[in-house]
Amino acid sequence: MRHPSLRLTPSRMLGAVVIVLAVLALLVWVPNDTVSGYVQSKRGRVSIGDAMAPGLAFGLMALSGALILWETRKSDAPGQPDPRGPAFLAVMLGICVVALTVMIWAGPLAVALFAPDETYRNLRDAAPWKHIGFALGGTGLVTALVCLVEHRFSRLALLIGLATVAVLIGVFDLAFDDLLLPPNGDQ
Amino acid sequence: MTDLLDYIGLGMMAVMNGPALFEIGGIGLPIALVMLAAGLFTGIAVGATPGLAGPMAMAISLPLLISAFGFSPDALLPVFAFLIGIMKGATLGGAVPAILFNLPGTPDAMMTTLDGHPMARNGQPRRALRIAQLSSVAGDSFSDIVLFVCAPFLAVVVEAYLDLPEKTALLILSISFIAAVMGASVGKGLLSVSLGLVVAYIASGNDLSPRLTLGFDALDAGVPLIAAILGVLIVGEILATLETLWRNNRALDVKTEAHGTAQDGLAPGDLKRITPVVARGALIGTVIGALPGVGSTLAATLSYSICARRAKRIPDAQPFGTGAPEGIAATEAANSAVSGANLIPVLSLGIPGNAAAVFLILAADSIGGFNPGPAVFAMPEGETNPQLVIAFGIFTLMAIGNLLNWTVGGAVMRSMSVLAKVPATRLLPVVLLVSLTAIYVQETSMFAVWATLVFGVLGYAMRRLAVPVLPFVIAFILAGPLERSAREAFAATGADPWFLFSSPTSVILLLMALAALVFLGRQR
Amino acid sequence: MTHFFKPLLAVAALCATAITTPTATLAQDWTPPGPITMYIGFAAGGGADTQARLIAQGIEEKYSWTVIPQQAPGNSGLTLAAELAKAPADGTAIGMVVSETMSYSSQASGDPAFGYENFTMLATTAEFQMGLVAMANGNFDSWDKVKGAAEAGTPIRFATASDRQADMAWHLGQKVGIDFNIVEVRGGKGVMDGLRGGDVDIGWVAGAQSKPVQQGEMVNIARGIEAPLADSPDAPMITELGSDFLLDGYFMFIAPGGLEPAAREALGAAIRDVAEDGATDANGLLTKAFGGAAVRTGEDLDAYMTQANADAAELMKAVAE
Repeated sequence: MRHPSLRLTPSRMLGAVVIVLAVLALLVWVPNDTVSGYVQSKRGRVSIGDAMAPGLAFGLMALSGALILWETRKSDAPGQPDPRGPAFLAVMLGICVVALTVMIWAGPLAVALFAPDETYRNLRDAAPWKHIGFALGGTGLVTALVCLVEHRFSRLALLIGLATVAVLIGVFDLAFDDLLLPPNGDQ
Repeated sequence: MTDLLDYIGLGMMAVMNGPALFEIGGIGLPIALVMLAAGLFTGIAVGATPGLAGPMAMAISLPLLISAFGFSPDALLPVFAFLIGIMKGATLGGAVPAILFNLPGTPDAMMTTLDGHPMARNGQPRRALRIAQLSSVAGDSFSDIVLFVCAPFLAVVVEAYLDLPEKTALLILSISFIAAVMGASVGKGLLSVSLGLVVAYIASGNDLSPRLTLGFDALDAGVPLIAAILGVLIVGEILATLETLWRNNRALDVKTEAHGTAQDGLAPGDLKRITPVVARGALIGTVIGALPGVGSTLAATLSYSICARRAKRIPDAQPFGTGAPEGIAATEAANSAVSGANLIPVLSLGIPGNAAAVFLILAADSIGGFNPGPAVFAMPEGETNPQLVIAFGIFTLMAIGNLLNWTVGGAVMRSMSVLAKVPATRLLPVVLLVSLTAIYVQETSMFAVWATLVFGVLGYAMRRLAVPVLPFVIAFILAGPLERSAREAFAATGADPWFLFSSPTSVILLLMALAALVFLGRQR
Repeated sequence: MTHFFKPLLAVAALCATAITTPTATLAQDWTPPGPITMYIGFAAGGGADTQARLIAQGIEEKYSWTVIPQQAPGNSGLTLAAELAKAPADGTAIGMVVSETMSYSSQASGDPAFGYENFTMLATTAEFQMGLVAMANGNFDSWDKVKGAAEAGTPIRFATASDRQADMAWHLGQKVGIDFNIVEVRGGKGVMDGLRGGDVDIGWVAGAQSKPVQQGEMVNIARGIEAPLADSPDAPMITELGSDFLLDGYFMFIAPGGLEPAAREALGAAIRDVAEDGATDANGLLTKAFGGAAVRTGEDLDAYMTQANADAAELMKAVAE
């Protein structure tokens, strides 16, 4: 059994990782990704450069990491490393990514298949093309998440997804002339 | 003085004489009032639904409201009316499931379950709800009055006595105070603050080549404000709650239900019993609320434990935890009193103290024409300051909101009890899609949606590691003003590197910032 | 529907080059192949944003084209320019910036991709009502008082809202021998808030000062443009005070580079049509808050932009010395 103050708890790990990242950012990121540096000489005067604020913020971050280590020097909750948490998060994110990808590409795909001499960009404000991606992706997102959390597929989940999409199309698209549903503003 | 009265009058007129939505019996119903009532009822409903909270509803409705009312200054009062309605309604609604089902609808209703639910189980749910409503509205009204008096005064003092260096020092003080008081440890509070600052500083500098973009073109305009805030606050919460529900499907379900008996409703002598408790709770809530970041949960806990200790000393008092009316009153008065007082630093200094205030600032920022800060309360000679009219319009709306809460709030509360049974497993995925769509509609860029998801993961990780999320959001909002005021102060003092220490006021403010970190953090 | 026109247009374009038909007829025939995205390089809710949205609304009403306004603020308009550079040059993507974006800012960024020759200038809508503003009845409410205070050794805080304005403040100071403390703030509103709060003493404002000046709260102690200011016709021109340059500029619409001439002319004409028609809301706003419509298109606009870019280069050289 190791001494309690040496055990690697989530908080201690967080403190250490934060210090390393903040120092790296201070040494590599900030100097290489700002133009004017910490202070610059402009119009005959010294003025604060673009690196000053981020530099101080990363300094504060390093300090916070040190404080976290210091606060947990005597005792810290061991924490329960449950691999199921991150795994579940990964599944949820996977669902979001797939749903958004469908949302982006379903419309252009439909145009390529059924209206080959037009571009999706020129049809981005025309029904039904503009609704295809949002309807498929949105319904998929809601249905998949409900099924995931409830551990079973249900027709009700699909219904909830369809109803949400229908209400959102009604609220944003039919009620407001200038609003574009995802993904139509990026076209 | 007459000027001030004129402005109060103009503010009230702005609410009452706004464009009418429809007419009843020849009298037009001003749109701001309709929006206020709609927001209030929405707020009570949202508060009464476990898994939803006021800030979430404010976040989702904001893009909708902006689409509906546009970006003109005329939009300010209706939009604020709805948001303030949600804010006020949610504090009231949170007590409903807490009392009826032993399930806090909002985090700050936790303490209400301690005496509210026992009273309901003893066959008096209506009495418990009524006491909760009266104490909540009393606390809210008291803190609103303090807001009306203090905010203009504070703003005038700040504008008259603080020069650019002192304004920088004041921002440093608020940020360190928030880091110190929020969450489990100063270290994690500071981590949250520094993350918020770093993200806000991406591509927000003065140079024409944007900083810290890592070469990504999509970051050239910076991280969209709404994506970062909604991601960490709302999507992070949804992801974390969905995980809890996935582990235990019934985690947010109604467990015990209470039914009323014949002698339900306010008992004679109840009002007399709770009056001193409410007064104390309102005072505690107001003082705590005026400090940015401390929050309603602490106010409720403090008020409840002080009252419980007093009750022990009185021999024939009903012990707390058994359904004592004083217990309900103490928590509800205190947690509701926080919401009004929280707007003192928002309106007078532009410093948000809680999530609701964050969304009010976001609304003002998105619409334009109203910039919370000292300039709101300026009274220029020979000219009307439209911001001040809006400020008094907001005060008018808050007063009317309280009036509605006094009168019809109770009935609405009782009717919302059914919402506690909506399963969160189905509600939260819907909320996620609605949030993502609302963000897209406001930003019109898929990048904002991806960014929201990334910040959702950050919010989830912060919750799992017990890093408080609100300091992140507040620091994100204050990062720009902080850097700008420091740059302006440095330039205005003719490039004096010691500008922060150039006046006694600013040195005192900085010492207070240090003291907050050292002493407030240690007590935990 | 519109895609049937595309081949027709191509034929028309061919004919135009072959027999040099006057481009006017071509422009009249031009219609956008899809909805037009109008990027707005200003924060939502401000005067410039409202102006752009009203022009979009006017074009929709007069021409029944679909125009979808979309915010792209930040980085002195260069964020919008970057967005526009990625969009197709077929007239379905336009953006509103200030002329400064396509002159001083694009040069100062050092990125040749932002050069004005890589974009198509469509039309200006209004000229800056640029004034050097101070609080009325204060210690700096005339140029003589500013000079007097400087000679007495009082440090003077000069608020500016862009790099070009800061350069101009410094240049003016160099020419008259005053070492201003130049404070860069955010937008004309930031300048006026700073004046009101006593944080700064004088500052450039490009038109938003109109109301406070009319109501006697602020004064224009000098003007940065050639024509006299509508509110303060007596304010001296900064070149009369010693500056080598003016601080002029326009609100204007641009499109991606290589836009076909017919589309350029049609879009420019549409904007002019809306901005100059006294019956539109856009014209009402331009008259009320921007000193009236000032539309320049085509070669006239190109000539102005060439001059503006030459001036910007001169200014940067003068400041670097």
